[in-house]
Amino acid sequence: MGAAVGNNRGMFWRILRRQIFANRGRLFVVLLALAAGAAITAALLNLQVDARRRLTTEFRAFGANVVITPRETPGAERFLEDAKIQDALATQNRANVSAAEFIYGVATVGALVTENLANAPLRVATHTRAVAVGVSHPAAGAAQILPSAVRETEQKWGASNSPQCALGNRLAAVLQLHESDQVTVEVESRHYFCAPMTLPANGGPEDMQIFMKLNAAQTLFGEPGHISAAQLSVAGGLAEIQGTVANLQQRLPDSDVRPIRQFGEAQGKVYGKISGLLTATVVLVLVLTALCVMAAMTNVAMERRNDVGLMKAIGGATRRVVRLFLTEAALLGLVGGLVGAALGILLSMELGKAVFGVAARPRLIVYPIAVGLTILVAIASSYPLRRLAGVRPAAVFRGEA
Amino acid sequence: MFLRLVADSFTRRPRRKLLTGAALALGMAVATAALSVSLDVGDRLAREFRSLGANLVVTPAADSLPLEIGGVDYRPANSGAYLPVADLPKIKAIYWHNNIIAFAPTLETVITVGNPASVAKTSSYIPTHTVQFLGTWVQHAIRTADGSEFVTGIAKTNPWWKVTGRWFDGDERECVVGRKLADELGVTVGSYLMLFTSSKGSEISSNGLTVVGVVDTGGSEDNEIIGPIFIAQQLSGKPGEYRKLYVSALSKPEDSFAKRDPKSMSADEFERWSCSPYVSSIAYSIAQALPGTEVRVIRRVADGEGNILRHVGALLWLVTFAALLAAALAVGASSAASVMERRSEIALMKALGAGRWSVGLLLAAEQLLLAVAGGGIGYALGIILARVVGERIFGVAPAPSMLVLAIIVALAAGVTLLGSAIPLRRAARFQPAPILRGE
Repeated sequence: MGAAVGNNRGMFWRILRRQIFANRGRLFVVLLALAAGAAITAALLNLQVDARRRLTTEFRAFGANVVITPRETPGAERFLEDAKIQDALATQNRANVSAAEFIYGVATVGALVTENLANAPLRVATHTRAVAVGVSHPAAGAAQILPSAVRETEQKWGASNSPQCALGNRLAAVLQLHESDQVTVEVESRHYFCAPMTLPANGGPEDMQIFMKLNAAQTLFGEPGHISAAQLSVAGGLAEIQGTVANLQQRLPDSDVRPIRQFGEAQGKVYGKISGLLTATVVLVLVLTALCVMAAMTNVAMERRNDVGLMKAIGGATRRVVRLFLTEAALLGLVGGLVGAALGILLSMELGKAVFGVAARPRLIVYPIAVGLTILVAIASSYPLRRLAGVRPAAVFRGEA
Repeated sequence: MFLRLVADSFTRRPRRKLLTGAALALGMAVATAALSVSLDVGDRLAREFRSLGANLVVTPAADSLPLEIGGVDYRPANSGAYLPVADLPKIKAIYWHNNIIAFAPTLETVITVGNPASVAKTSSYIPTHTVQFLGTWVQHAIRTADGSEFVTGIAKTNPWWKVTGRWFDGDERECVVGRKLADELGVTVGSYLMLFTSSKGSEISSNGLTVVGVVDTGGSEDNEIIGPIFIAQQLSGKPGEYRKLYVSALSKPEDSFAKRDPKSMSADEFERWSCSPYVSSIAYSIAQALPGTEVRVIRRVADGEGNILRHVGALLWLVTFAALLAAALAVGASSAASVMERRSEIALMKALGAGRWSVGLLLAAEQLLLAVAGGGIGYALGIILARVVGERIFGVAPAPSMLVLAIIVALAAGVTLLGSAIPLRRAARFQPAPILRGE
């Protein structure tokens, strides 16, 4: 009995092998269809998972998404304690949260021009009231909190020790500032002299402000160790941002921690649209793959009428015949899926590089999902083979249709 | 004879032809849907991105430097310049008027308010809070040149602002209060607020406003009172004027050409630049329409949006290409299968003396007929599919386009011919006799 079962099993696989390799042209078509379907599915699924991460990164370019300010109650402190903020931030995951600190105040800004080059007495040519901003050195990851032009100048300051400042283009225009001029910033008869550079137009309030190092501004305003606000860029979607806000608010009961909703909501919406489109495409591509395999299988069903007739004539049960065909379909799906999905993930990495400039990170979860879907599609599209179960051996051998 | 053979093949085995035709139609429906949606998707996404808020800001050219800290302008009340509200309908008359999604003028003025409970208890008013009053439009109708109405306001330029209760009516003495200020003052929907200008003692008691909503902005406006612009004009003594205008405009991502200074362009280049909906060329045409203004691009919004749109647009074209490829494969395979199963028929024709070319021509004619019919039906199905997908994802169905129909029919014809050419070439090598014997 055991031997008979073993024999049967051997026979089952032998028939299967013969069936699969009987028509290599068709095998190629079916495998190509399944592999192409699996490749496209895997590539799109991987891009879909990756798109969330990429969009999060891209949306961080809009700037800070969380801001910490002093609580605005009558009689409350106008400033935050730098040290307290630093302590609270130290508890956060620095890979996901980056911060920049600011101090703001109104100052009188003047342009100093050299009368003549020989004995250079300085003279204040023009002056105006403007908002002076002290900015802390953000870590590399925090760069996107600052507008790109401010960020670049900020990085240059890091290298030099001489007093420097950067003026928004409108402020520079009001001061009629020239290349070689010096700038003086005055608050309550405290002065700060610096070598200015002019920032390109940005469209925001930055255009009317003058930027300097945080500690220089703190000294200027007479508020050492104080800041007006901290801006944070938190990686992730709305949920992560809200989590960070809640956590920081608990640690900083005296200040106000609030999310900047403007960009967070748009991010969620846009991801929703992209994700929807990708899902719709994956479904359609799978339907098309099924269509393609089904076309080939209809042919197979025509050709195998004689084989099935013979199997049945010599005592093959209908169930075993059907199992034979289903195993064949599943095997084809498995091979097509394994090869196709692997190619698809490689493809998506390249495509990610083409689209976002950074290779998409391969997600291992995508691989089994894509292979599983392909096997399902292969089994579902062997539907035409079911007709073989109804073949009557006698009719086939008489040559009737 | 040729036509009869073709007609015969369709009528003799209608079920089989129907099956191949259905496969073709389904494949082409998917291709149609993918193409229609992606032709439309750039516009749809650009519109979606307008939920980021205004990308242009208009200020008086002669304005003094604003001393803005945390959203509050610390300039003295009478410094700086203002612009007439009456000019604003001109924005909807510029060349790019269809790209202007929304705009809202604002006029801010510093006022003092007190806890309304204290007003109720004593008739004397104790101002406790110095806050900013932001006057603007919320649902303001503008009559455009072509006679239609355009409704615009802050709710459209800043769609992330969430109001509990309702927005104020632009003609009524109503206002909405920022979330944080509302908590501090203890006001809710239905409260009555008294506003006073901060200049010493000059009470304007007529400025009592009903609070109709509490607004969540996530910005400095959470500490402000927002109301109709005419009240801000009364409070600041600037009738008919505004100080800042936010414009939300649909634009095309800027390339390096777009960022060039228009003054340095040749006449041809300038023509091309001003006829492309770049955010900077829209800014230019607004500045032309509103004299005495400076129109600035809010770089942070415009550049971020441009980058993401470019990337996402590329991603979606890629997806479309994938769908087209899959459709072509499926249709090609099914037409290859339909030719393969007619081997004995082909063999018979050859045995009766038909040449390679006449057999090929016959089959090609059949396949083409099928492709045009299947492609046409597929196009119709695809338009429905595109509507479903478009409405599910963007809430708007893409418009059917003749261009897509042409592409689809051509694709169907090309792919079916290519798909049947391969088995035909193999069939040409076979000897008729063994096939007819059934070997």
